[in-house]
Amino acid sequence: MTEAQSALLLRKQLAELKKNPSEGFSAGLIDDNDIYKWEVLIIGPPDTLYEGGFFKAHLYFPREYPLRPPKLKFISDIWHPNIEKNGDVCISILHEPGDDKYGYEKASERWLPIHTVETIMISVISMLADPNDESPANVDSAKEWREDYNGEFKRKVQMSVRKSQEEAWD
Amino acid sequence: MGNCLQTSTSDDINLLRDSESSNTRDTSPEQLDPPPPYQEAVRPTVPVYHTAPNVTRPATQLTEEEQVRIAQRIGLIQHLPTGIYDGSKKNRECVICMYEFQYGDTVRFLPCMHTYHTHCIDDWLMRSFTCPSCMEPVDAALLTTYETN
Repeated sequence: MTEAQSALLLRKQLAELKKNPSEGFSAGLIDDNDIYKWEVLIIGPPDTLYEGGFFKAHLYFPREYPLRPPKLKFISDIWHPNIEKNGDVCISILHEPGDDKYGYEKASERWLPIHTVETIMISVISMLADPNDESPANVDSAKEWREDYNGEFKRKVQMSVRKSQEEAWD
Repeated sequence: MGNCLQTSTSDDINLLRDSESSNTRDTSPEQLDPPPPYQEAVRPTVPVYHTAPNVTRPATQLTEEEQVRIAQRIGLIQHLPTGIYDGSKKNRECVICMYEFQYGDTVRFLPCMHTYHTHCIDDWLMRSFTCPSCMEPVDAALLTTYETN
């Protein structure tokens, strides 16, 4: 896949998302001149602790997209077992096949060249609703999620929801 | 001495100069060899392979085992049938590049019957030998088609 092809594919998705916005998130470019860097605003899924939040995240696509996955990083503070404290998202569909240092991911759960911004965001929204505590990126958060869901975990998530709301209106 | 790589003629001249004026050897700047020619220019002609999906290696740096594996993979991919898109309504779009097939496009048919542009799917199959749509391992599917035929 040449650079021109990856740029074409991303431009096509951007136009498609502008025409038919998806439920649950909005997407655009960080800088209009760089098709490889996207900014998404994820709406906290209803009926979860994240409801009401507007979380900003950045997607960084490699020139080899769609043969290789993008990286996803939350810019807004968010407390979640599968999101590192620095915002890096750890989900199996963003891992390349064969790139399984822990040996528990099925090939079918990993990156495929048919993934788009939309399918990636659907996975992320489902991850927010349903954390996978087998492979925590934020160990403290995973421990609280398991052991103190209605206490410390809920308090920290609600704090990040409130903060994301304040930042969204700035 | 004994370095087999020193074959250039400039070295021989240096040897002569050394014997003539060995006391100035370390200080005379004109005895410095010219820098070796810039090697970067030859690089783009070396094909690049992926020994693992996230590992990119030029063909010149592959181990024998990796070369065998890559050769086998290329062989298997070339055994998968290709064709020219004939306007069939069953497969309209290449889901990798998200473009509709046009009459005359070269397409590849995987054993699971999923169809892609040859240039889109071949790059992927070198990284992962699975169908992107159904995630079926292509080698396993190839075996079953051979057995049933």
